[in-house]
Amino acid sequence: MSRRLRLVVMCALLLTLLVGTSAIRAQESDLRVALIIAQGGLGDRSYNDSAFAGLTLAAQDFGVEVVPIESSDPVGEGEQLLRTAAEAGFDLVITLEFSHFDPLARVAPDYPETLFSIVNIVVDQPNIVSVMFDEHTGSYLAGALAALVTSDAEIPNTNEAASIGVIGGVQSSGIDVFLDGYLQGACAINPDIDVLVAYSNGFGDPATGRELALAMNEQGADVVFQVAGGTGQGVIEAAKDTGFWAVGVDSDQDFLAPGFVLTSMLKRVDIAVYDLISRLVNGELSGGSVAQYGLDENGVGLSDMVYSRHLIPRAYMDRIEELRTGIISGEVPVVDTRIITEEQRTAFYADRTCAGAAALMASME
Amino acid sequence: MDSLDLIVNIAAATLRLGTPLILAAMAGLLSLQVGQVNIGLEGLMLAGAFTVVAVGFATQSVLVGLLAAIVVGMLLAAVFTLVVTRLKANLIIAGLALNLLVSGGTAYLLSVLFGTSGTFSPPDLESLPSLYIPGLSDLPVLGRLLFSFSPLVYMSWLAVPLVAIFLYRTVPGLHIRAIGQNEEAARSVGIPVRARQYLALMLGGALCGLAGAHLAVGDLALFREDMTAGRGFIALAAVYFAAGRPGFSALACLLFGLFEAVQFRLQLASSTPPQFFQMLPYLMVVVTLALISARKEWRKGWS
Repeated sequence: MSRRLRLVVMCALLLTLLVGTSAIRAQESDLRVALIIAQGGLGDRSYNDSAFAGLTLAAQDFGVEVVPIESSDPVGEGEQLLRTAAEAGFDLVITLEFSHFDPLARVAPDYPETLFSIVNIVVDQPNIVSVMFDEHTGSYLAGALAALVTSDAEIPNTNEAASIGVIGGVQSSGIDVFLDGYLQGACAINPDIDVLVAYSNGFGDPATGRELALAMNEQGADVVFQVAGGTGQGVIEAAKDTGFWAVGVDSDQDFLAPGFVLTSMLKRVDIAVYDLISRLVNGELSGGSVAQYGLDENGVGLSDMVYSRHLIPRAYMDRIEELRTGIISGEVPVVDTRIITEEQRTAFYADRTCAGAAALMASME
Repeated sequence: MDSLDLIVNIAAATLRLGTPLILAAMAGLLSLQVGQVNIGLEGLMLAGAFTVVAVGFATQSVLVGLLAAIVVGMLLAAVFTLVVTRLKANLIIAGLALNLLVSGGTAYLLSVLFGTSGTFSPPDLESLPSLYIPGLSDLPVLGRLLFSFSPLVYMSWLAVPLVAIFLYRTVPGLHIRAIGQNEEAARSVGIPVRARQYLALMLGGALCGLAGAHLAVGDLALFREDMTAGRGFIALAAVYFAAGRPGFSALACLLFGLFEAVQFRLQLASSTPPQFFQMLPYLMVVVTLALISARKEWRKGWS
């Protein structure tokens, strides 16, 4: 298909979308916001759905017109999606798709009147707002809680070994920031703790997630944090079948196996999307900036632990709250491993233990 | 943890990881023997995984789901057979099309039928009950190695001798192998070629349905888009690896399972980059296939 034909088709599609979804609008404001849905699509009960919830809430509260844009291939169609949205005259185009950083950098200069926003990566241009989350601090709290729980014989599903685990989907800085935050949090509670680290080599293979979690549990890990998308579902199933704790990620996954998911490290994309639109409405949103969402903004944090809180001693939850306020005030430092130097990275990953984390922390000063 | 524990753990993991591979490999082997190599094993497995969860959820019976997975596997295999035999489509293209069709189709059905995407894990869907024989299952080593698995693991052990007997000790099996050797010659002596092709590929479809069902409800109880994650291709590699022999194909699958099981544990014990260990099973396939063909060439040179 020629480029022009594709564009025409895209426009036609977008028009159908506009007609189909125009229900979400009120007349208090004439601002228009588009949200480009990432891979996985609406209905994923996670990242995309969370962002959409924030979008819907903002539409109700501020009376802006909002349009979610779905594509069967958001990665391949990146540039067309961004261009079509910009040409349709939206004031703010938010893309949830990480891989759009490259097309966005090309498209944004052509539409200086439009504000763009991208999640999880910084694209430095005058009309782009980059949305970043402090995954390391939220994961730090999860690691600290895991370390408190693993050595407590009173809590069910634990063993005597001071050993916990964490499984990443693939080894990349965006995933490692969770793993390294978790490690640092665990080491803050118990410097002698054993934190097992492994990668499942994919995000869609629950059978592998299950086996990897079982291998960790055999070696004594009784709390296993999974940062591996659909693969992580296998980790939660393994925890339920074998009797240890899993830790959920991104959305509140505690309900997936009540009593076997200790907590979930939440990444509140809904709060970020709502906040972006709120700032747009108030005229406070300007491009060339990074919007950072951390513990303070409730952008990241632990779940409400509906199914596990009654099993956890009050003192532990107080300790977690102490750490949380400490991180916000800056008294408790947490290294964001996305922004360390190559030498620091090499040294730390050669010794990814509490000692290594302490050395990394020392090298930051 | 002492070393006996470690060995038992690795062996049990090997058997669990090998199961879907063995079932799919037997299907691949049947397709190879009948001369219509099916690279759509992946798609057939995925269809089985989806069906067992969808039907299991709808009927509240995982056993009904299992039967449906077998039926869907056979039906899709029948369509594949029709396309590659009567309609004379290219085997590779048809196989790829099958994989793409099921991958997209299951994602589509997931959203249409259950209004979700990514993962579907109905809360009241149970995984297949693991075998538990009082006494035997509690034995220290043997209990965990022989009497602790989900039923499809045993099914995979049964499938290997059954497929071997079928291919080498029955008339239809002989026909299938004859067709694979030379279709025209088989036709000329009156073998019902078309019927045997359907038989071989549809039996394979049933086995793939079981393989997919094992992934979805053997130990877990969920469907995930593309959850087969390349296992169909690995099974096919195992068949080539074993030059089409059932026993050796199964062993190759177990070897693959062993590498995965060991790879998981090496990651936990070492700070070597994980990619290195993740590469090992695939490296093994490439090296062995190269050795096999080198040996063939070497023999040719001598005769």
